[in-house]
Order: sequence, then structure tokens, then C-alpha cells
Amino acid sequence: MEWLTPLTALYAATVSVPLLLLLYFLKLKRREQIVSSTLLWKRAVQDLQVNAPFQRLRRNILLLLQLLVLLAILLALAGPILSLIAGPASRYVLLIDRSASMNATDVKPSRLEAAKEQAKIFVETLRSKAFYSFKDKSDQTMVIAFDNRAKVMCNFTSDKKQLNRAIEAVIPSDGVSSLAEAIVVARAFAQSPGVEADYMSAVEPARLVLFSDGQIRDLDQILVGPDELTFHCTGESQQNVAVIAMQARRSYENPEQVNVFATLANYGTTPITCDVQLSINNNVRDIRPVTVPARSTDETENAVQAGKLALDFSLTYTEAGVLEVRKLQGSNDADCLSCDDAAWAILSPPKKLSVLLVTAGNKVLESALQACPLAKLELQSPAQFDTTDQNDLSVEQRYDMIVLDNHVPSALPKCRYLVFGRPPDGIDVSAPEELENQVVVDWRTKHPVLKYVDLTNLFAAKCHRMILPRDADVLAEFNETPAIALVRRNGSVLLLAGFDVLQSNWPFEPGFVLFCYNAAGFLGMQLGGSQEMNLKVGEPIVVEGLDGQITAQIDGPDFSGTEIRSSSSGSLRFPGTGRAGTYRLSIGEQPARFFAVNMLDPKESNIEPQREIVLSGQPVQAEASDLSRANLPLWPFLIGLALVLVCLEWIIYNHKVRI
Amino acid sequence: MSHRRKKLTDLLDPVFMSRLDTLDVMSRKILQGKLQGERRSKRRGQSVEFADHRPYVAGDDLRFVDWNVYGRLEQLFLKLFLEEQDLTVHIVADASASMSFGEPSKELFIKKLTAALGYVSLVNNNRVTISFIADGVTVQLANMRGRNYLNNMAECLLTTDCDGPSNFDSACRQLAAGRIGSGVMVVLSDFLFKEGYDSGLRRLIGRQYDLYAIQVLCPQELSPNLNGELKLIDIEDADAAEITVSSALSKYYKRNLTAYCNELKNFCTSRGAVYVLANSADSVESLVLNYLRRIRLLR
Repeated sequence: MEWLTPLTALYAATVSVPLLLLLYFLKLKRREQIVSSTLLWKRAVQDLQVNAPFQRLRRNILLLLQLLVLLAILLALAGPILSLIAGPASRYVLLIDRSASMNATDVKPSRLEAAKEQAKIFVETLRSKAFYSFKDKSDQTMVIAFDNRAKVMCNFTSDKKQLNRAIEAVIPSDGVSSLAEAIVVARAFAQSPGVEADYMSAVEPARLVLFSDGQIRDLDQILVGPDELTFHCTGESQQNVAVIAMQARRSYENPEQVNVFATLANYGTTPITCDVQLSINNNVRDIRPVTVPARSTDETENAVQAGKLALDFSLTYTEAGVLEVRKLQGSNDADCLSCDDAAWAILSPPKKLSVLLVTAGNKVLESALQACPLAKLELQSPAQFDTTDQNDLSVEQRYDMIVLDNHVPSALPKCRYLVFGRPPDGIDVSAPEELENQVVVDWRTKHPVLKYVDLTNLFAAKCHRMILPRDADVLAEFNETPAIALVRRNGSVLLLAGFDVLQSNWPFEPGFVLFCYNAAGFLGMQLGGSQEMNLKVGEPIVVEGLDGQITAQIDGPDFSGTEIRSSSSGSLRFPGTGRAGTYRLSIGEQPARFFAVNMLDPKESNIEPQREIVLSGQPVQAEASDLSRANLPLWPFLIGLALVLVCLEWIIYNHKVRI
Repeated sequence: MSHRRKKLTDLLDPVFMSRLDTLDVMSRKILQGKLQGERRSKRRGQSVEFADHRPYVAGDDLRFVDWNVYGRLEQLFLKLFLEEQDLTVHIVADASASMSFGEPSKELFIKKLTAALGYVSLVNNNRVTISFIADGVTVQLANMRGRNYLNNMAECLLTTDCDGPSNFDSACRQLAAGRIGSGVMVVLSDFLFKEGYDSGLRRLIGRQYDLYAIQVLCPQELSPNLNGELKLIDIEDADAAEITVSSALSKYYKRNLTAYCNELKNFCTSRGAVYVLANSADSVESLVLNYLRRIRLLR
């Protein structure tokens, strides 16, 4: 037998017992009654006292009963537990899955809550080292919650209250579930003896108890010993329709035109008819009824394929905004998971490019660029460019694109480059020699840069041999060297053409103007600003280039007004993007910046509970039945006893009063 | 308040009185009286009823010598006759405050009983003394004889209130001191005296008196109907007793009451007195006409 809250009862006892006694010994206000003589009554009272050796007790039987009632209530308050389990003490690690699929509401109130409840029952079943316990052994337990990250909620302890608090503190997230890190953490903790480890050897392996729906993506990376892991599966239904992909982009041709692409997936067994709503800045722009087909089972691979439906929206919008694609609840739709019903994208305002042309004088290139829809085109001589503060350029991003014509700069600020001639240094591209008389042998017509560009007749009298890094994209090839290549280095994107335009026949080809146009469009698209604003769940919000030590406020889907400070180097980092939705960052007087945090994870949206998980080829079956309390709480019996005693007291009181 | 003279009919029903006419007070012993009365005395004297012979001693009245026996035996014997004498009936009624308690009250019961016994005694020309006692003798009508005293008695009974504390011992001392001769003494009381009844009764029994102790208790004393947490206050001395009425307590009360009455009874019978327990709720008539005749106080 153990006591859950002995101190509470003790405090209550110190107050209530003297109070009861005090009340009892308060002078009773007696009714006065005149009699002919008190002689016989006094004798009777005397006799009563003389003849009953336990007279005091008998007279105070009501007090005794009241004390017993109080005792029963106090004992109930102390929370006695009759433990029904036996065996040596063990160490347990509770692994609680809090990934997005655990938000499913097929088990009320949610899978995570059900799993927490199960975990609490498990904790209740444990043996703790209590004051008045009949045994001196106790189970040590630690709690780890995991989504794509593992979070230690509580180190090894036998304090059930602390464990319950730790379990209660597990909050749901919209991250994907990955167990490997949690198990690595658990083993690391299990090797070191806990605070209360006393005689327990750390050699003894801790047993892993997993509370999950079985949808864990990295099961094949985990190796556990036989019987090391016990799996408690929650979840019943696989009914879920999710937005699994979404993208919004402006058309380069017509920047006011916004195209939104989204993919819906149905993991249920019946086709779902529902409405899909497109809204921008919370203003509904379009609602489209759709029917998402049911999932299909691939007979050959025995794999389940979700029914998918692709959608595209087109709208005209000239400002910045937050786009939302939301699946609305349909009529026959038993959707269990709501956090993947919507996806968001941050739309930047349409932008015309500012271009810097660094050239010693190239009319052909200058006029070709002037033909492109640019905001401004600046010209600098190589000498001017080299004297400009490179860091300043890198930070301020004054130019969206820099065209280097036959110039190798001393340093390369972070930007998008179109390079003609010798490639610049420091990008892992070497140009050891110059070649002559090169003709194009092949090019990628499908690449946006070379769209509609015919390079058939391109001939270069002189060309640098470019030795490219492995990750470079070769867009066109001369007979001996790559002609046009795309290289990404140090946050910069470089489109390299390894020859001087004036040393080729390209200016006379219509393809040259087209190439300049495509290149400006493509590099303009690589601005990357919007990419930094569209994040996955769990990816941190990072804003660079701010002043050091400034305070910003961030509002998210499940919190608001959280303050963060930028580092001394002027970067702001907020890692708490655990929930899908839009996050709003306000820095002082600057206009608010929005960040879209999306789940967009087909695997996590598949919420079908797995009763069997396979860990590196070793199947683990979920426990057949839910956990039940192996501990018998005794307080209801004590309260019942108190009730019986109160009834008894009432009967005795009545019996005493009646003659 | 009317100044009408109190009459005995205020206490006793005329029909009852007419039935009392046939009764007389009887002494278990034939006791010496003051006047030559209508009853036999234990004292040998001049009467017609022969009692015994005894040898003649010098100085005896020669008129009572039985000459027939002398003629036969030549010895002188005296004839002894039973002398008939009158009877002193002394009725002692408790008039302490405790007697006013009860529903119906013990006071009324005692007064009725006193009236009935007094009536019987006066009608039969007995010497009647009525004493009210509390912490001493409070009122006394002494040496009444004949029907003429009926109204005196009635007035005395009806004007005396039961009040004040009791002191049975001192009352008995006064009674015993004031008592002359011998006769029948009837003590009417509840006998619930804190200082005890024994020394008082012993004084009364000590003389040549035929003692009847009639204990009158009311139903509230015989089976109390109390409940709850009570502070009992003695009507006489305001003594308080705190009790919590329980079945055990009332059981012990009844047991004590019975023991008390039995003790009194044993005390009386062992000393030749007669003990009678009366309930004030019962009728005086049946007590007088049946029970007192059965115990030969009346005939």
C-alpha cells in the first residue's frame, strides 16, 4: 500500500482533528427542565457511570464515530493505493509521440490526449518509493516527447507527481514523427544513473514504452533489443483529406498574375466531396467544389496510395499577401485531422529587377538588357565595381542581378550573376586555359534560361575551358567545354557563359536577346526572398541583416506577443514553429513580415494507425488492450466507510435521544 | 376571590363521602387512647370483654377477683378485661414544593387522601391530628374529634399551599416530640428527600404508633418522558443535574426508582410499618375503598 498525498492528509488532520475535539468539548447548551427532585436522576447518572467501565467511551461514542469518520476522510485524502504488481524494480522510458498525426480526433479528445492518458495510467501503475510503502523498491521512469525532435520532459524519477506533470506538459505539434533521435536520447540518459538511482545499476537496460499511432517515418533506422520496446497504439480511423502540396508564384511575363498550385490527398476509403477555398489576407477569392478520389491499394507492392487531386488557381494580385488554400469540411467527410486541411504561402509583391552591368563597354549587351522589362539598369566600369564596398552590396542587395562582362572581380558579393567570359574566382570553377573555335553541340531546351533559344549556330572564336563542380548544371556544351552553366555558391547564383559575347556570333542571333530576357527572368526568380518565408513545420524563422540587439514580436497560430531579440550579428532566429499556420513578425516600425509554416507532408497526413511497426526488420506488435490500472485506489472505499459511519452515528444519536 | 367558606365537598365527591361513612380507621394493634372510646385497648381495664386471669397480688382491686375460681381452686385470681379506648389518627402530609409537581399533581392527591382519611376518622369519633410538614411542621390541626371539625379540616386542607424546602428529619423530630399517646400515623409524602427518610421515619416508628407510609409519586416521576440534552433543576433547592437522556440513563433511572421504593418498603416492613406506593394519576377513591381496606388501615 502506498500513499499518494500523505502530507495533504497530515495537514488536514492537524487542522480538523483538534477542531472536532474543540467543538465536542464546547459547553453544550442544555434545555432547562424542572423536576420534583434531582435525587434519582443523580443516582441514575452515577449508576450509569459506575456500572459502565467504558462509560466515558460510551458517552462519547458519537465523538468516537465522528473521529472515525474524520479518520476515514483523512485517509482517503492521503490517497492510499493498493499496488497489485510485483517483481523487481525497473527503469522505463515513456516515448510519447506528439507529431501532427497525433492531433487526429478519431479518439476523443485527440490521439495525443488518449496517449497521455495511457501514459498516466502507466505511471500510476508504477511502484514509487513512498513514505509508508510496504516495500522499498521503486520504478524509475523518464518521459520523452518527440515529433521530428526529441524533447526530454522529465529525467529518471520515481516521483509520480513529477511524471504526471511532465506528461501533462506534452503539447501537440504539427511536426513529422521521427523516433530515432528520441531513442538515442533515451539510451544516453539510461546509461547515466538518474538522480534517485541509488542502488539501481545503470547497466540494467531501460525499457522503452512507446505511445504512438505507429506512423513513424524512420523506423528502419532504429534497432531495439527483443522485448526492449513496448508499443501502445492509439487511433482508430484513417479518414483524412489533406493539402499535401501548395505553391504560389507570380508569372514572370505578367507579374500581377498569381498562380497557385495545390494537391489534395484523400487517405480514406470513400471519395470525398468538399469545397476548397482560396483566400488572400483572409479575403476569400475562390471556392471550388472538388471530389477527391478514395485511396487505392496497389496489389503488386501491397502499398496504399492516397487518392490525389491537383488544383490550380489563378488570380490577379499586385501586393504582398498571405495566400491560404483551405479544404472545407464536406458533407460525407469524416476528416479526423484538421491541421493539414490548410496550407499557406507568402506572396511577395511583383518586382521589376534592378540590374548592374559591369563592363568596359559592350553596346550589344547593354541594348539587349535594355530590351528586358527592368526597373533600372546601371552601368559601371570594372574599376568602379571593384572600388564599391562589396559587403555593402551583399547586405543591402541593391541589385537583383549583376552582369559581369569579361571582368573577374576581386570579391564576389552575394547576388545573382550573369557572367560572360572568364568565370570569377572562389566559386570552385576553374578556367585553366582558353580554347578556340568552339561550336555548340548540345543544350537543354527545356531549361527556363534556354526557353525558345536556338543555339544551333552559336560559334565562339575564343572560349575559357570551364572545369565545373559536380553540383553545377550544364545548360549548353561546346565541343570541348561546357558553354553555359548554372552554379550556386555562397548564397549566390551564377549563370556562367564561358566566352566573350563579342568573340562569338551570338549578338547576331535572335537567341541572344531571348537568352538575356530568360536569364534576367530566371535569376530574378532566384531572389529567394519568398523561399525564406515559406517554411516547413519545425524549420526556424531566420531573418538576417538586422541591427544587433533589437527586440521583435512574433505572433503565431497558437501564441501571440512572444518577444525575441536579435543576436549581436543582427540575425533573428525563432525556432518555435511547431504548429502549421502563418507567423507574423513585427520589428519596431517596420512593416510586419509574414512567414508561412506548412505541414505539406503526405506521409504525416496518412494517419492510419499501425498496429504493427517494423523496426529494422523486427516487427513489434502493439499491446492488445489498453492499459488498465494495476493499482487499486482505496479512497472510494474509505469515503464509503465514512458514509456508513455517518449513518451509524445518526442512528445512534436518534437511539440515544429516544426513550 | 370568593370568601365562601371552604367545604369538604370541594375536595371529596359526596358519593365517595357517603361510601366512606361505612368505614372506620383500624389499628393493627389495639392501642391505648386517652378517652374511653369505642374500641378495644390492649390495656386491661374495665370493660365487658374478658381477656385473661392473673394471680392476685396485694393491692389489687378485690372487685375483679374471680370468686368462682377461688371456690374451685382456693387461690385468688383476678379477672382481666379488655378496655375499649378511643384511637388517635395522626395524618402527616408533605407540603414541600416538590409535592406541587406532577400532572395530575401530587398535592391534590395527598389533600384528597388526607381529606378522606380525616373524614373517616372524624366521623368515627377518633382523635385526629393533621400536620403539614416541609422543613418542619408548617400547619397543624391537633386533636379534632367529631363531625364538627370537618369544615375546619376542609378549610385547612384547601388553604395550605405546598411550598418551600423540605427537611423531613427535623419535621419528624417535631412530630415525635409533639405526639402524645399512641395511635395510627399516616405519612403522605413522595419520600424523595436528599438527606434521606430513614432517620425521620425511625423517630416516628420508635413510639407506640401504627405507622403507614404512603408514598405518592406522579407519572412524570414514575416514567419520565424527557429527551435531549437537559439541565434538570430541583424545584425545592434549585439544585441542577446535567443529563443527556439516553435509553441507558432512563433504564438506570427506573432501576433506581424501583430500588428506592423497595428500600423504603423494606425499611417500613422490617420495622412494622406499612408501605403503600400510590400514583397520583390513580383515583383516590379506589385507593381508599379498595387498597387501604385490603391492608386493613380502614375497615
